[in-house]
Amino acid sequence: MELRLDSASSVCNFAILDSLSKNSIDEMSNSWNAFCSATEELLMGAGDLSYASEFGLHVRNLCRIGLESLVVEHFFCTMEGNFEKKGALRFWMQFDAYRDFAAINIDDPDQRGRMQEVLHSALENISSEKQYQEKCLQFFIHALETGRESKSVDQTPDVVRNHLLSKYQLTVSSVLMSSLPRHFSDVLHWYFKGRLEELSAMTAIGDGEFEVYDGMDLDLKPGINDSDETHLHENILGSNDFVKNVAVVVRDLRSLGFTSMAEDAYASAIFLLLKVTQVHDLAGDEFRFSVIDSIKAWIQAVPLHFLHALLSYLGDSKSYESQAGLKSPLATHPSSRFFGSGPPPEELIRWQLRLEYFAYETLQDLRISKLFEIIVDYPDSSPSIEDLKQCLEYTGQHSKLVDSFIASLKYRLLTAGASTNDILHQYVSTIKALRTIDPAGVFLEAVGEPIREYLRGRKDTIKCILTMLTDGTGGNPSGSGSTGDSLLEELNRDEEKQENTSVDDDFNIDDKQAWINAQSWEPDPVEAEPLKGGSHRRKVDILGMIVGIIGSKDQLVNEYRVMLAEKLLNKSDYEIDSEIRTLELLKIHFGESSMQRCEIMLNDLIDSKRTNTNIKATIKQQSEPVADVGEQELSMNNLNCTIISSNFWPSIQVSKPCQTLLETKSRVLPLGNEDMLLSARDPEVTKGVKVDEALKIPGPVDQLLNDYANTYNEIKTPRKLLWKKNLGTVKLELQFEDRTLPFVVTPLQASIISLFQDQKSWTPKSLAVAVGVPEDVLSRRINFWISKGIIAELAQDSGDVTYTLVEALAEGGKAGINSGSSEEVLVGDEEGEGSVASVEDQLCKEMMVYEKFITGMLTNFGSMALDRIHNTLKMFCIGDPPYDKSLQQLQSFLAGLAGDEKLELKDGMYFLKK
Amino acid sequence: MSAVNSYTQDRNPNTNTTAAESPAPAPSKQPVPTAKTVDTQSVLRRLQSELMALMMGGDAGISAFPEEDNIFCWKATITGSKDTVFEGTEYKLSLSFPPDYPFKPPKVKFETSCFHPNVDLHGNICLDILQDKWSSAYDVRTILLSIQSLLGEPNTSSPLNTVAASLWENQEEYRKMVEKLYKQSA
Repeated sequence: MELRLDSASSVCNFAILDSLSKNSIDEMSNSWNAFCSATEELLMGAGDLSYASEFGLHVRNLCRIGLESLVVEHFFCTMEGNFEKKGALRFWMQFDAYRDFAAINIDDPDQRGRMQEVLHSALENISSEKQYQEKCLQFFIHALETGRESKSVDQTPDVVRNHLLSKYQLTVSSVLMSSLPRHFSDVLHWYFKGRLEELSAMTAIGDGEFEVYDGMDLDLKPGINDSDETHLHENILGSNDFVKNVAVVVRDLRSLGFTSMAEDAYASAIFLLLKVTQVHDLAGDEFRFSVIDSIKAWIQAVPLHFLHALLSYLGDSKSYESQAGLKSPLATHPSSRFFGSGPPPEELIRWQLRLEYFAYETLQDLRISKLFEIIVDYPDSSPSIEDLKQCLEYTGQHSKLVDSFIASLKYRLLTAGASTNDILHQYVSTIKALRTIDPAGVFLEAVGEPIREYLRGRKDTIKCILTMLTDGTGGNPSGSGSTGDSLLEELNRDEEKQENTSVDDDFNIDDKQAWINAQSWEPDPVEAEPLKGGSHRRKVDILGMIVGIIGSKDQLVNEYRVMLAEKLLNKSDYEIDSEIRTLELLKIHFGESSMQRCEIMLNDLIDSKRTNTNIKATIKQQSEPVADVGEQELSMNNLNCTIISSNFWPSIQVSKPCQTLLETKSRVLPLGNEDMLLSARDPEVTKGVKVDEALKIPGPVDQLLNDYANTYNEIKTPRKLLWKKNLGTVKLELQFEDRTLPFVVTPLQASIISLFQDQKSWTPKSLAVAVGVPEDVLSRRINFWISKGIIAELAQDSGDVTYTLVEALAEGGKAGINSGSSEEVLVGDEEGEGSVASVEDQLCKEMMVYEKFITGMLTNFGSMALDRIHNTLKMFCIGDPPYDKSLQQLQSFLAGLAGDEKLELKDGMYFLKK
Repeated sequence: MSAVNSYTQDRNPNTNTTAAESPAPAPSKQPVPTAKTVDTQSVLRRLQSELMALMMGGDAGISAFPEEDNIFCWKATITGSKDTVFEGTEYKLSLSFPPDYPFKPPKVKFETSCFHPNVDLHGNICLDILQDKWSSAYDVRTILLSIQSLLGEPNTSSPLNTVAASLWENQEEYRKMVEKLYKQSA
């Protein structure tokens, strides 16, 4: 004590030190001791200020002898120690129960209530302690001031007082902060969360979903509001008592220096509530409704209302109010209504913006993470797409969408298990959905790329696309019919668009239109990849994007031709209206010239119809005199031929080119009643054709075909018909003793069954010879009849099998369950081997041509470099189709040949392997 | 449709499938256009389709291909037929087509020296269908096949190479000679 005194005074004033007598030193120490004990008493005495006057005296005395700073320091020191012991320690002890938050079920209402109580009482205690100390401090300050009065002061009393008060605040908070247990912020967080949930629940009760919100709104209307500020506050606060409670808590916390912590706590509680109860609960798995508006309304009704009440209670808008108060009496009127018509306080607006942004972001994240599902139910989920669009407009986090969506695509869609149809369906939905979000198609570009990339690797992509394009239900009868419809729709819609753009593309484009176009130009969004810029992206064109998968329209057109050929050849009438319509639409999109072959194919069919009628009429005339011949039932009327210009049709599973191909449908009634379809060929060409075309058809039908062909030759000299006997369909009826069965089958199947008319059982070998096909083909085809229970496969003792006609239903009943279901079964087992060569086959064929050319040139030139082979092929391989491969494609093809030991590569030169 | 059909006929008058048919139209056509009036386009087309037919025909032992940038000059390769003294040998030839082909025969020469009664030391060939017996129905393929068969069945009555003609009687010796000369040239 002495030491401190000395050192302190030495700092203060040395002159005083000189003048000190022994007496005065004694006096000083006495008075110091007295001061110390008085301070002790004062601060310890709970609320008892009896020592106050004595205390004041000591303070004044010590001040007088220049020990003011020491006095102040000591006083604060004592007060701090006291607060630490009496306030802080006790305060924290009350929260010990919440040390381990994980162990406490915070959702339990009892727990929650208890915690609220603990917090309330703790705060109350510490606040009263603090208040008492503040009172003491006031007293101390007062004593100081009076002690200083005699002296000349360089500081005004106010400054000193403020300084001391803030110093005290600092002391209090530093004491609390230094001993702050970690779980306290959790306590606060859960406290506010609990309170907010209660508020939220309260607002949700009743008829109106946001009763309080409405109520507040009403209160704020100028007419009802009597413009009395306090009344207004009472109104709002009165409507929720507990907001006041919360406000008290917040105020207490603030006064203890926990301002930011309290703010954090209620902010995080609000955000949590917004995220969990609003966004996630409302929008979680529900894509059919837009939730943004209700979330916004909730923000207004609950958190903003809460904050408003809170801030008003705490007087945060004080500055505003006092400002208003300072204005002229006339001005108070409008300003006092700021909640109704004027702008709400700045703080509140900030909160609102924060909350809304947060809501948008949360919703956006949620939607993005569920985007895949949303797009799966696309047309139904469009409200949530709209939501997402709004959110993205606020947050601008499009790249997040792209990344996350691509990831989920790769994980969920682009896998071996997903059918091409589904992928395409999803792709179309994606295009449509993202078109809403981003009309410029920039993000679509990014998202679509992986899908396109993947689809290119699938063999059936083109086929699926075409099926989707041309008919709604084909290809995948199990489901996505709507996709096809929508694509056809797209095709239709495109018609109008195309007309417009074709005007645009015109050279003499209307000036006015150009001006409009220029005005409506918008720059690419910043997120656009500059490398991929291009105005072609402007209009998001679904068809274009689909075609883009394939790479070139030629491929698509080619595949369409094959498909069309298949379809036309399978037609049993000449009705091609829908094909014509589709073709017209495709022509608009792909250009007249590329669809020319398809048009010829359709024209062939139309011509066939006419020729067919013509020939039949001619034959009828000629045969009139001899009409009574034994040919009786086998009439020309049952024969319908499709005459095709084979140059324009895809190759028809026949290696030789032929002038015309003819398909027939004839009616033959040899044993029972059979409707047969046959195809025939010019005998000259039969040499060297594939075996399965060597089909032998029943004699009368063959005769019929010959007559037909001859008549054709007469009418259309010098053209001749080459029959394709394996193509077409036969309608036939099998008559048994007890039943009659109609079928629609292939000519081969018809030939097989017709052989059983005369001979009830055949060995496979003899039957194969009789029909004219190899045994393996036969056994595959005859399965059709076996499965129908018409023919039975019987094992002989020798181990051989024979095919036997099953005459009675009873016999074949077990096998022939399906035998009644006639037409729809058609050629089910042959689905895989269509009559028209697929594009793949054609590709193989092309490659075979190249191989022969390469062999030819290498034979004669010995060795050649890659580019010379390439150039030579380009120059001389100009058949149908011409060589159109890239150098890289050729290289990989040559590498394939080298792999097959046909070629050798040495020093960049290719040799034939000898 | 009719246009297309006739086009096909024009293009492939000599493909093997219609070989039986082809001699008939050929003589009837030949007198009609005089050699001079044939335009280059049709010659090109003819050679083009001959190339395609040759490539796709896949006859063993004969092959031909146009030189790099001139479809009027072809290189051909003939291998000696089995069971002849030329078995196991391979001869290069050059074919050069006149602008009025196919109304004039192409000039055909052996590039590899060939010890043969009807081939002289410069590679010139004495073969009737390459001279006075030429018909526009012939094509590269038939020429090459003819030369291939000529190797095994020479016309020793009017030889260009008399040494070869006189040695022909002794097949064993002849074989040795062919092998010796072939090794030299290779």
